[in-house]
Parts: sequence; C-alpha cells; structure tokens
Amino acid sequence: MKKKIELKEIELSFGGLKIISGISMDIQESELLAVIGPNGAGKSSLLNCISGFYRPQKGKIIFEGKDITKTSCLDRAKIGISRTFQHMELYNGLTVLDNLMSSRHNMMNYGIFSSFLYFGKARRQELDQREVIEDVIDLLEIEAIRHAVVGSLPYGLRKRVDLGRALASQPELLMLDEPMAGMNSEEKEDMARFILDIQELWKTSMVIIEHDMGVVMDISDRIVMIDFGEKIIEGTPDEVKNSPEVIQAYLGV
Amino acid sequence: MEKQNHKDTLPKLLLLNYEKYGNSKTALREKDRGIWQKYTWTKYFEIVRNLALALEGEGLKKGEKVAIIGENKPHVYWFELATQANRAAVVGIFSDCSASETKFFLEHSDCRFVVCQDQEQVDKVLEVKDQLPLLNKVIFWEEKGMWSYDHPDLLHMDTLLSRGSELNHSKPGHFEELIKKTRGEDQAVYFYSSGTTGQPKAAMQTHWNIINMAQQMDSRYPVLDSDESVSFLPIAWIAEQLFNVVHSLCKGFAVNFPEKQETVQENIREIGPQVLLLSPRLWEDTISDLRVKIADAMWLNRLFFDVAFKIGQKVADYKMEGRSISPVLRFGNVLADLMIFRPLRDRIGLGRIRLARTAGTAVSPDVIRYFHAIGVPLVQLYGSSECGVVTMHPQNQIKPESCGTALEGYEIKIAESGEIFVRSPFLFKGYYKEPEKSKNVIKDGYYLTGDFGRVDDDGHLIVMDRMDDLNHIGGDKVFSPQFAEIRLRFSPYIKDAIVVGEVSTEYAAVIINIDERNVGNWAEKKKLDYTTFADLSQRSEIIMLISQEIEEVNEYLPEYAQVKKFINLHKEFDPDEEEMTRTRKVRRAFMEKKYGQLIDAMFRNQKSTEMIASVAYRDGSITQLKSTLLVNDIG
Repeated sequence: MKKKIELKEIELSFGGLKIISGISMDIQESELLAVIGPNGAGKSSLLNCISGFYRPQKGKIIFEGKDITKTSCLDRAKIGISRTFQHMELYNGLTVLDNLMSSRHNMMNYGIFSSFLYFGKARRQELDQREVIEDVIDLLEIEAIRHAVVGSLPYGLRKRVDLGRALASQPELLMLDEPMAGMNSEEKEDMARFILDIQELWKTSMVIIEHDMGVVMDISDRIVMIDFGEKIIEGTPDEVKNSPEVIQAYLGV
Repeated sequence: MEKQNHKDTLPKLLLLNYEKYGNSKTALREKDRGIWQKYTWTKYFEIVRNLALALEGEGLKKGEKVAIIGENKPHVYWFELATQANRAAVVGIFSDCSASETKFFLEHSDCRFVVCQDQEQVDKVLEVKDQLPLLNKVIFWEEKGMWSYDHPDLLHMDTLLSRGSELNHSKPGHFEELIKKTRGEDQAVYFYSSGTTGQPKAAMQTHWNIINMAQQMDSRYPVLDSDESVSFLPIAWIAEQLFNVVHSLCKGFAVNFPEKQETVQENIREIGPQVLLLSPRLWEDTISDLRVKIADAMWLNRLFFDVAFKIGQKVADYKMEGRSISPVLRFGNVLADLMIFRPLRDRIGLGRIRLARTAGTAVSPDVIRYFHAIGVPLVQLYGSSECGVVTMHPQNQIKPESCGTALEGYEIKIAESGEIFVRSPFLFKGYYKEPEKSKNVIKDGYYLTGDFGRVDDDGHLIVMDRMDDLNHIGGDKVFSPQFAEIRLRFSPYIKDAIVVGEVSTEYAAVIINIDERNVGNWAEKKKLDYTTFADLSQRSEIIMLISQEIEEVNEYLPEYAQVKKFINLHKEFDPDEEEMTRTRKVRRAFMEKKYGQLIDAMFRNQKSTEMIASVAYRDGSITQLKSTLLVNDIG
C-alpha cells in the first residue's frame, strides 16, 4: 500500500498553549482512518494542519511524496485535499446546486464577458462541471433538493450538502470533521453508507473525526486516538476497542 | 373482435412503432442527472432487441416467467418487452414489498429470472435466494452500491446488452423472427391481485386481452401520438400497465419517468402531461395541498380564490347536471379561469391536461367536483386485474358519484345480491396454479367482481363497496363503510379512516388516521406544541378539529349510520404491518381484528383505552409501543 499523506513530528501551539505535540502518522491510499479522542484533544487542529488552515511550528507534511508544509490552503485544495467542517460553512442563501458548483469554481477560468452571455467557454465549462456535480448528487441522493435554498433545509440534509461540496472537488484526500454530529440513528446510517460508497467507488482516502464509537468501529479501517495533543494508540478497530488507554480516556477509570 | 396478426402482441407493436417513427420521435423520457434523457423508438427497439437476444442466450424459454422489481423506469419497459419477445410472461412485484413477500411471488410464479432495479431489491432477493431452488439469475441495472458484490448469479444489464449486441451481429434478423413468432394468445403479464383478503392470486392476461383493453379505452378518449404521459404508479398494477405500457405502444405517445419518488410533483410540472393517471390518494393529496396553501395565503388572494372557486364549482355542477349556463356565469367562469385556474393548473403541472383519470379505489365525489371546478377534466374508471377497465365516464357525461358507463365489449349485470358481474371477450385466463379459485369467480361467462353496486337509468355504474365489507347496522339496515370513508378522506386533516358498525347499535364509529403534515401545520399555526404523532393525535384541540370534520360528513349519511364515536389512532396505517395493501387499500378484515379492542371501546362506551402495539420497522425489527387512546363523542 502507498502512503497518501504522511505527518512527521507535527507540533502546533498558540502562544504558550501546546495543542499538538509531536504527532506522526500516515494515511494510506483509499484508507478510511478515524481520529478519535476526547474534546479538546487536538483532533480538529490536526485536520486544520493538514488542510493548511493552521501552520504547524514544527514538523513536515508529505502529500503523495511531495512536501506541502509550506503550501497555501488554496493550493492544497487544488492538489486534492478537501474537508468538511464541524459546523457547516455553507452559503445559506444559495441553492444546493450553487453550493456544490462553488467548489468547482477554481476549475473554471472563463471571462466576465462570456459569463454574461453564457456562451462559448463559459457554457462549455459550466456544463462540464455540472456533470461532476450530478454524479455527487446521484451518489448522495439529494436530487429532490437540487434547487432548494440551503438555509431552508433541515440539519441532516445540510450536513449531506456539506459533504457533497467537499466531494464535488473530487478530492484525493477527504477529511470529515464530525459528519454525524447531531444526527438521529437513521441519518447516521445513511451517512455511514455514503462514506463507504465514496470509499468503494472513488477509492478516496478519508480521515474522519467522530464521537459515535459504534460508527467508528463499524466503518473505519484504522483508528488513531489522540489526547492532550499526543497520539495515544493506533491500530485496527479490534485492537483499539480493547486497549486500556482508550477506555481510560473515554471513561476516566 | 377480429384478431389482427401484425399487431396482436406488444413486441409486434414495438416493431411497428420502430418502423413508423424510428429516430424521429421520442418514445420514453427519463430524468437522470438532472436532465430529461430521451429514448427514441429506434433506441427503444435496439435496447429491447439486445436484451431479448441475451435473455434467449441465457436460456429463457417460451411460457416461462420473468419477475421485475423496480420503480418506474424505462428499464422496466425494456425488460418487459424483451421477456415477451421470447414468449415468456412478466410478473410485476411492488418495489416496496418485503423480502418474504418477494419470496412468495417468486416462488409462486416459478421464476427462473428476476430483474431488480438496485441494491435494495437485489439484497431482498439474495436474502431469500437459498429458499428458491428454481431462481438462477438475478439481473440488476443500477450499479450504485453493487461494486463489491460477487454473487455468481448476479448479472448486470450492461453485460446483457453487450452480449445481445454481439448476438445480433452474428444472427441479424433473428430478433424480428422472434417477434414474428409471438402470438396474441401468449401470456403477457401476471397480475398479483392486491389481496385485500387472503393470499395474493396471480391473474393471467394475454397480449390479445391487454391490447384490446387499451384500445377500448382509447376509443372512448382517443390519445394522440404527440401527447405526453407520466408514469409513476406501480408497474405491477394493471392500470399502469394498460394506460402507459400498452397504451403507449398502441398509440405511440411518449411516456416520462420521474427522477425520484420525491420529485414526482416537480417532474410532472416540467413535463406538463396531456394524459395522466393517478390513484385516488394522490388526487386527494393534491387537493389537500391546495387547500392548505390557500388557507395560508393572504386574505385578498383567498378572497379571489373563493369567489373564482364558487363560480367554477357552479359551472362544473351545471355541466354535470346538463343544465344550461347563463351568459353571465359563463363570462365569470372565463374570467376566473384566466385569472385563477389557469395559473393554478400550471402550478400543479396540469396546465395542458386533457385526460385526467383516477382508478384503483373509490374516490369521493367531492374530489371529482373539485377538479372539474378548477378545469381539470378528471374521469373515474372501474376495473380489476381480472377484467381490465370495465367502465369509464363518457365525455361530457360526468357523474361524480358514478364510475361511468361500460366500455364497448363489456356487459355488466347486477346480481340479486347486488354484486356486480362483468362479461367481456377479454376476461382473464384464470389464476395461476389456482384452478379452483378461478372457477369460483367465473359463472356463466361472467366474472364475479365481489363488489356491490347498481346501474342507474343512464347506464352509469355506481360502485358502493366490497360485498364482504357491507354490514348491517341497527338491526337490518345495510351500511357501506366505504361510503363514509371516502368522504372522510376528502378532509385535508384525515388521511385515512376505517368506519365500523354493529348490528346492535344505531350508530357507526371510526378509527382515524390523521394527516400528520396538515394537522401539524394547523397545530403550528395555532401555536400548539406537540412532540410525536401519537401526542398530536390525542391533543384535545386536534380531537375538536377532527370531530368538526366528521360532523360535516355526517350530513351525507343516513341517521342510523352516522358516526357518533371516533378514535384518533396513535400511528399511521402501514402496508409494512399488513394494514394496507401495496396499492394502499385498507385491509378491513385484518384491521378490524387488529384493532378489535378499539372498536369494542367505542361501542361499549369506554372513555379511553390502553393500546399496546408492536411496531414493525423497515428493517424487520419489532418494538412494543404503549399509548392511551381517547374515545371521543360527536355532538
């Protein structure tokens, strides 16, 4: 198996507050890696380091063999790193379709003139991008809300749109920050199915942060647990399930 | 009727349309990936040809059966015709059937092949496949989720298509040969009767039968080849087969398939069909929607609508009664149509409708009157899997309470018991594997429908109820639960109802399934808080609301059969719990037994009753639910 991304000795601190202290880990090609840990353990910060939101003070990030530690957020998106947010960052006033199209934005380069008249390059590019979007809509089964304004949708569906937008950029590495938070069990089941479908169909590497241990144990290939900015344990769901460290961190005994 | 050899089977009709229209006309249109994708008659023909040849290659033989489980998609039509070109018959299975129901159909029909739409259907079949020794090929067409399935008997439609195309290259003209061999008397489709009583039975219909049935309907309301229709009622149901599959092959009009069940309303609006068949429930839902939206509108809009609707209703009633309409009223109606009804029809996708039909179960006369008032020419028809469409409203002779007059070739006789008997040259060929049951329902060439009704002076058939459902109330007075139920269902707040009566009491009682959405909206507007369906249904305000709705219906009922007691059920009637059939008809005998406790409570003057019910979830798991249901009095 090939490594998709590799983190080497990442350290991140805000002022005197150490968030991540020397975490090394890697994510394999088309692997579903779950990151677990108590609140404040540094999970989201780790994701932010990978996506380029935060700059780690020390350490290296290697994506497909290239060092991207100094690459900007935008450029990381261009080479195929995509994410969803814990609290969705959608354009609430736009339709589902427009929200999805927005993530194809950096693949279009037509000028203002042709976009006014919707001809030539503008039309061609919009149509090409729309095809990709329709694949995503089909996969996530959101046909019925294609033209609905995002702000008017219930929470569970907005979460799905958020995932759709991350997917629409056809990422090589997809990071999901608590994709199932606040969902009922039926919605969680749907979401888990979509995540597995994405992995199976597009062979996307995925990092998922999730608190529902049932879901994590069911769908992930490998689990990394972190606490107080340090990696506590790493292994398959079976290995992690019975480890005393996990039990201690979660149950405090 | 003379047999026409070049068009007595569906595959032959397909060949004719292919030769006539070729690539110049759309036959089927499907919304996929947000765009209406069209299939011309040539494309339709080629796909069916490839599938038919591939199925022949897989060993499909004359007289065999192929089951199809799926929602309405062009694929269902392709597989159906490919099967029939091999002189085999199609068995339609409702896509929401459970695995065990699916097993019953597959086992009873001895299918060797089953065609599934997607992962959901494939999973159902694979779950029971070990118990079906005959079944050896499971074909599917939607790949999603199926990427890692490697069951040896699974076969993707694309594989069949490419094999078929190779076979066509090596044996050109062979498909046309196959079609030529098909005969009108071949079995075309097996319709499993919805089974409001007992196990489902499969009524066998030949090509000649179903083609003639469609032609009889067409001679009353001719459809043009430029028309558009939308297909989304279950394909396993005879009405959908006759009105869309068969009729489109007879007349060459285009059939459109919605993208998803949830987008149907939107898709109908995009197509603007000229011909449309909906079930009574869907027509009722449309009215409920309209009424709720209008109630939500601004007072001025409401005023305009109310005035226009009064005019429309008057004109429609006069027309139905054959009375002359004064010029003033006529002018008013033109104005109302321009200002209100035309935009309204457009909103609900019926802007171009020429022929709107309802079939399946009885519909309230008010539904028909409502649609005629807003300019939608809704006609009712009566039929069954065994005899096809028997009656239909003639043009300009609409009686809202009747099902219309008999179509040509059909003869209706009312037995002394009041049962409706039907005779026609196109009666079904018996129930599959049930010669005894077949004999029981055919007497002297008449099919015994099991429905109770009468024929009025103008030859209109009025269907009252199922024979089995009629019962006596207050001693010896005959009472028809359905008569009250369809009128109750007309209320936007009542989704379903089951009315019961007793010989010893002078009143009827009813179990109500409230309409969650509309009642919920009503509650929200009144600032009532509620948690669940069960909670909502027992709120005193909701009980008042329903009680008023029932009082209105009581005005239509004879004194001895008026509803005096009711219970709002804590849940919806559910086909997964066998309370309804897959076509959403209430299974009365089952319900009366299941809710015997509630019925007792209503007739024994109890104030409330504790209901412990097991609830079945989609995945088959069952949990216990306890709720207290109030027994409510009317008046």
